[in-house]
Amino acid sequence: MDDWIGRTRHSTPGVGLISPPPHHDIYSIEDLAQLISDLKNANRAARISVKLVSEAGVGTIATGVAKAHADHILISGHDGGTGASPLSSIRHAGLPWELGLAEAHQTLVKNKLRGRVTIQADGQMRTGRDLAIAALLGAEEFGVATAALVATGCIMMRKCHLNTCPVGVATQNKELRALFTGKPDHVVNMFTFLAMELREIMAELGFRTINEMVGQAQMLELRNNLAHWKYKNVNLDGLLYKEPTNLDVALYKQEDQNHHLDDVLDRKLIELAQPALASSESVYGEFTVQNIDRSIGTMLSNEISKIYGGPGLPDSTIHVKLRGTAGQSFGAFSTSGIKLELEGDANDYFGKGLCGAQLIVYPDRAAQFKPEENSIVGNVSFYGATSGEAFIRGMAGERFCVRNSGAKVVVEGVGDHGLEYMTGGLAIILGQTGRNFAAGMSGGVAYVYDQDGTFASKVNGEMVNLESLTEEDQGIIREYVDKHFQYTTSNVALALIQDWENQIGRFVKVMPGDFRQALAGRGISLADQIRDKNIVYQDITVDVTQG
Amino acid sequence: MGKPTGFLEFTRELPKKRDPQQRIHDYKEIEMPHSEQDSQRQAARCMDCGTPFCHSGCPLGNIIPEFNDAVYEQNWAYAYEILSSTNNFPEFTGRICPAPCEASCVLGINKPPVAIEFIEKSIAEVAFEHGYITPKPPKVRTGKQVAVVGSGPAGLAAAAQLNKAGHTVTLFERADQIGGLLRYGIPDFKLEKWTIDRRLAVMEAEGVTFKTGVNVGVDLKAKDLLADFDLVMLTGGSTVPRDLPIPGRDLKGIYPAMEFLSQQNKRNANIPVKVDHRGEVYGDGELLATGKNVVVIGGGDTGSDCVGTSNRHGATSVTQIELMPMPPKDRAESTPWPNWPMMLRTSTSHEEGCDRHWSINTKEFIGDENGNLKALRIVDLTWKNENGRMQMVELPGSERDVPCELALLAAGFLHPQHNGLLDDLGLEYDERGNVKATNYQTTTNPKVFAAGDMRRGQSLVVWAISEGREAARAADLYLMGESMLEAKAVSMIAVE
Repeated sequence: MDDWIGRTRHSTPGVGLISPPPHHDIYSIEDLAQLISDLKNANRAARISVKLVSEAGVGTIATGVAKAHADHILISGHDGGTGASPLSSIRHAGLPWELGLAEAHQTLVKNKLRGRVTIQADGQMRTGRDLAIAALLGAEEFGVATAALVATGCIMMRKCHLNTCPVGVATQNKELRALFTGKPDHVVNMFTFLAMELREIMAELGFRTINEMVGQAQMLELRNNLAHWKYKNVNLDGLLYKEPTNLDVALYKQEDQNHHLDDVLDRKLIELAQPALASSESVYGEFTVQNIDRSIGTMLSNEISKIYGGPGLPDSTIHVKLRGTAGQSFGAFSTSGIKLELEGDANDYFGKGLCGAQLIVYPDRAAQFKPEENSIVGNVSFYGATSGEAFIRGMAGERFCVRNSGAKVVVEGVGDHGLEYMTGGLAIILGQTGRNFAAGMSGGVAYVYDQDGTFASKVNGEMVNLESLTEEDQGIIREYVDKHFQYTTSNVALALIQDWENQIGRFVKVMPGDFRQALAGRGISLADQIRDKNIVYQDITVDVTQG
Repeated sequence: MGKPTGFLEFTRELPKKRDPQQRIHDYKEIEMPHSEQDSQRQAARCMDCGTPFCHSGCPLGNIIPEFNDAVYEQNWAYAYEILSSTNNFPEFTGRICPAPCEASCVLGINKPPVAIEFIEKSIAEVAFEHGYITPKPPKVRTGKQVAVVGSGPAGLAAAAQLNKAGHTVTLFERADQIGGLLRYGIPDFKLEKWTIDRRLAVMEAEGVTFKTGVNVGVDLKAKDLLADFDLVMLTGGSTVPRDLPIPGRDLKGIYPAMEFLSQQNKRNANIPVKVDHRGEVYGDGELLATGKNVVVIGGGDTGSDCVGTSNRHGATSVTQIELMPMPPKDRAESTPWPNWPMMLRTSTSHEEGCDRHWSINTKEFIGDENGNLKALRIVDLTWKNENGRMQMVELPGSERDVPCELALLAAGFLHPQHNGLLDDLGLEYDERGNVKATNYQTTTNPKVFAAGDMRRGQSLVVWAISEGREAARAADLYLMGESMLEAKAVSMIAVE
């Protein structure tokens, strides 16, 4: 990761990134439905698209995705792939888009779901003929990538990952970028021809619009002049099958999904926050919540971002106190200026994609259990969080802080796979951890209160080192334990503070070696980095006009 | 690809050439020796493209990025294994190929292309030097008798391949030495003839029988040829030169280029200049450019060879004229990458001194009272595009005489010689007069195959080798029903 790319991707220059990123927030169709819901809350104007690999059974998956309220489904064929794709993927993953597209379209029609989603197909589409076939097999949209790149000068070097693209298409090397000869006109020209050819075919077939054409597979027939012996057993009946329907069944996208956004809690929060949105005025409100209140703070964050952009509002401008059991994705994608204080507990995806907000959770005043022995937030909390703070009085479930790149969190225990692929931020864990801790962790730091001395056996040491504390570390821990007590009145925090001299020695520091070197190389102290993770970019200028 | 950033670090560098003033006094190779590190550095420039256009640029389908990588790793034995899997004679193409591979090299889009031809020559030379090239006779003989008629690059390639397949190959040549135009066309300063002898020794040890001085069709009748052999491979080349039938053509001092060039090859080899490359007596005696005003008519490679040879003879002046207009200095817009570029090419012979003129037509040869050529009447042309066809129009008032005592016709070759063997075999010809064949098999006799210039018309050495290889596979398939011979679409090399 060089300086420029590191800054552009909000990661630490000098530290490698694990690519492609694993999606530990999606293990089931329900997870996906929740993600779609979160994203829709985060941006109501956006169409949420789900990309599916063309393969046998994709019809069933597409049906699930349509039921999960995706607005758009992309069936991606095996022919394409970026220049950085491994050869094994290029050669052995997926099937032709024709197969997947036909299956997805037919299955959706059969389940009367086709009218709710737009289908797009891609995979080396190059000609109007490709587009016409895709439309007849069930797509109303088409993805053209390689051909457009080639129009601008790409010669399919397959060196996109080496920074040595000799025609300046996929490289950051100034000298090579100067060799780029592509012009917008080239792309316009190509698409004009593409559209022209498609129109000619449509005219020939008697279609006025793409919508009319979608799924009219009877217009396709198998060529009878295929000489090669391998084609002799080809049977396209299944591919060209047209599901018998009546006029009530839509064959192309005709209605919008109902995302149930009208009565979400955030509508009330937005109402409360009007003075803040209008003039950054502080507001405070109290609400009770239940587990159907999902993605709390997400739509509000969208409203803030639309006005104040990335930086958001000053901390704690909008203070919302909630009581009850919050639904999934509490505080997902919540931005700066929001402070969500929850008395009770929360479900999975707590703080997913957190980007600036402060989340505080402690058990209900009437609760009888010991918080430090019970999960009060679910699995996959802080997945992909980029900034913000959180204080959790109680334990979190599994896959805690996976892919966290900047959030600073305090929690009293976590399940398995904690901090997997974490690239930045701070995690202070005042209790037990599960196994496979810090697997693939390339950045950030964790301090684990190892009360019984078993922590070392739970760490995946491939990328991280276990270290004892420096004075700087002790200061960081104390600052956050103090805050934790202040916000949540945690007994664990209180006990630590009262016996600090004896207990501080039980903390173990977990830090990736590359991350340490990257900071040392820039002369940045860990405390400064935690205070502001963007400090690593202070000497990096990004010249977007480069080349 | 040994070095991903090699093309950014190194520039294209070819071995130095000897000084023109020094080299025109001999017929030795023009390039000076180079080190293995020079080749390695050039190989490092290869980018191992995702879509290697050089594969299709090369008529042989040479697996170029792979051997470049082997050279970068200094694994010369493997480099030769890769190279020889597609090219029987890299020592020839490494010297005299116009390198269409380099014209299609991806690096050539915006930088000087990889020095593929130089690397190829290096591989061949290192392989010979280190003893990687040893005779590899086939382990099993099929018992099939194959005659290859014509020993140019197509015939040699076909013979080598068919022998490799286990057939018993006899290669017939009517000249006194094997090699065709490699031997009696290309001047020594471009291809020293020991390179041919070195290769012939390997082929002979592998079991190929060479028969020189046999004019098939005359010394060995067509019907006997068909009776004696299971298969006949015709690789006789395109030998009928394009003449210039204008007034004065019968004057003394006007000769086809091949007559002139082959004589010098004989002199260099210390062979009496008596019979030509076709085995016929030189009717015009010894031809020398010494002290003469030489005009070479025709702007191609053969013409360029005449220029170099005339300079070495000590001509008073050497002029080369061409009918077509002067091509652009760089790649013409009509031939974008990765096509073979229409552009001005300056050969080593041109560097040695020559007046070059374009858009010139020769109207008449003018002789003196003894019937000797003394001048050429030429006229300037302009070319007009009329309905997509280029039409030449003489420039009024530009007609003039230029002094000339030796005019060499280097205007290309029409087709193979029909009378004799080809007619006796009853072969069909295509519209250009070349032997008509379907997948190298002649249309009239299934056991007669044709390849090289004889089939495709005048072309490059690299195309001749390609033709010989492809035809050998077709012939092997015909003889055996299956073939394990490599051809363009069939590689037998194990990819690491």
